[in-house]
Amino acid sequence: MLEIKNLHVAVEGKEILKGLSLSIQPGEVHAIMGPNGSGKSTLSYVLAGRDGYDITEGSVTYNGENLAALPPEERAAKGVFLAMQYPVEIPGVTTMTFLKTALNSQRRARGESDLDAVGVLKLVRAKAKSLNVSEEMLKRALNVGFSGGEKKRLEILQMAIFEPKLAILDETDSGLDIDALRLVAEGVNALRSPARAMLVITHYQRLLDYIVPDRIHVLANGRIVAEGGKELALELEAKGYEHIVKEPA
Amino acid sequence: MTLALNLDRKAQAAAVVHSHGVPHRRIEEWKYSDLKAALGERGLGAVMAEWLVGNLPAGVEMFDLAQPHPPAWVMAHIARPTQNVMSAASLALSAGGVAFRVPKNSAIAAPLKLDFTGAGHVRALLVLEEGAALTLVEGVGPVDFRNVGFEIVLGAYSSLEHVRISPNAADAILVEEVSLHIAKGGKYRGHFAGFGSKLARMELEIALEGEGAEAHLSGVAVLDGKRHSDVTTHVIHRHGNTNSTQLFKHVAAGHARAIYQGKVTVAKGADGSDSSQTAKALLLGDQSEADLKPELEIFADDVKCAHGAAVGDLDAESLFYLRARGIPESQARGLLLQAFLEDAIAEIANIDQRELVRTELLTALKVIA
Repeated sequence: MLEIKNLHVAVEGKEILKGLSLSIQPGEVHAIMGPNGSGKSTLSYVLAGRDGYDITEGSVTYNGENLAALPPEERAAKGVFLAMQYPVEIPGVTTMTFLKTALNSQRRARGESDLDAVGVLKLVRAKAKSLNVSEEMLKRALNVGFSGGEKKRLEILQMAIFEPKLAILDETDSGLDIDALRLVAEGVNALRSPARAMLVITHYQRLLDYIVPDRIHVLANGRIVAEGGKELALELEAKGYEHIVKEPA
Repeated sequence: MTLALNLDRKAQAAAVVHSHGVPHRRIEEWKYSDLKAALGERGLGAVMAEWLVGNLPAGVEMFDLAQPHPPAWVMAHIARPTQNVMSAASLALSAGGVAFRVPKNSAIAAPLKLDFTGAGHVRALLVLEEGAALTLVEGVGPVDFRNVGFEIVLGAYSSLEHVRISPNAADAILVEEVSLHIAKGGKYRGHFAGFGSKLARMELEIALEGEGAEAHLSGVAVLDGKRHSDVTTHVIHRHGNTNSTQLFKHVAAGHARAIYQGKVTVAKGADGSDSSQTAKALLLGDQSEADLKPELEIFADDVKCAHGAAVGDLDAESLFYLRARGIPESQARGLLLQAFLEDAIAEIANIDQRELVRTELLTALKVIA
């Protein structure tokens, strides 16, 4: 589904990713772990199509298509979803209006008809309940005044509503206490399916206790320096990044 | 006008116009709105512009200022002396206009719709007596040049909501001066939506003259091409424990120019006054311009005065967030622009008018987003 080959990415002329390769098949959950500054967020932004992240070498192919050639909105319509580390606050746009606009934009881009207000409301309500997202939150301006946990829950709610094919979770655990983390992880696990791939980006092993990956990649200095099964997370937790990063890759 | 009886005032006004001449950019208050250059050779002229009242709500009294024998309430309030050149011009150079009175304790449910049309100068007077309440919806017909001099007198505990929409009119020069006097407990809410003209200027001078008097001003402007929009306000807290708020949000694209000049004066002895001023502008083009100038003059003690101004572009991170959720770029920009304007739109209490303004803004935003 996702094929990253020898990816080099520069931000403001500075190379951040230096030859990253990665392959994810439908139904798989992969984790990317790495210390601060290793390029984790750069990878998530370049997959979602943020301006200013220039691919200088290598390729990103999504279902056989060159992902880099598509603007962010087309990637979303084709099923790429990035749950952001810092969801932005947008005063003046209610959460419900945003969800409806985004959902119908994606549907339209796929040649499907718009869902009317009642249809959207039904869909959102059905999914919101299990993530403990209240009606009151949906009426508030997007992410404005939301706690860290509320913001992350809303990200996962969007994932549940948009039903992406490839979900990238960028530091979804950051800023969450253990109860909030469990709730978010349960939401993510409920969305695991044979047709959906996930890429979970995290600094800590903690999240991977709840969202158990099929494969773990360790990112350091813009490259994958180690790979393994879920047990690799425990080793990292015990020995720290330094131990692995310093070994010759 | 009527002003047969007011020849003195008319002569005084003519003298003000004569001594100052047509305002131009070297006069501080007109720095961003060079009326003299815009008018060119035609000058101020001496034509009478027109006014139209669609349906006079029951309970509102009206008098045509071109008619003889004005009632006492007109004579009591009209044509107070002014040093404002354009206000003086509307008095000196016109013989026409209209006056309204809402009697004591009358709350008028239906809005009063007043349209100004035609070229030239025109006067208007609105008097709300003690405890009266009204919604005034002012329409601005596009024309090559019009100057409106409007006097509003709010009696004790009266309440006026004033909504004015200035249309997108590339070749028009539209100037208006509103002079407001608010007695104790009186409340004014003014909303000004502007889509820009060759030169569009709305000037408000508001005197809070009694305990508890309030003025709340808000406005939005969405400008494209070479449109110009100037809102100039001067709120004077003459009495203590008075309150004023101002919230203006402007969006300028292309070569457009959005101007807000707001001065708040707290007079000596007006202790305990409270005022706030916020003006923000988003510039969408390299050639767009916003001039925001909030000003404070305080001669009293124990006052609260806050002011802020900011000019910027759309937030790149917000734009990316919306696009990453599938919303196409131009639609995402439109959504963010609407969000930027939203708190100023929400200030309009009258629901019909609020929706009307919102609809017009959305239409204008679609063009520039």
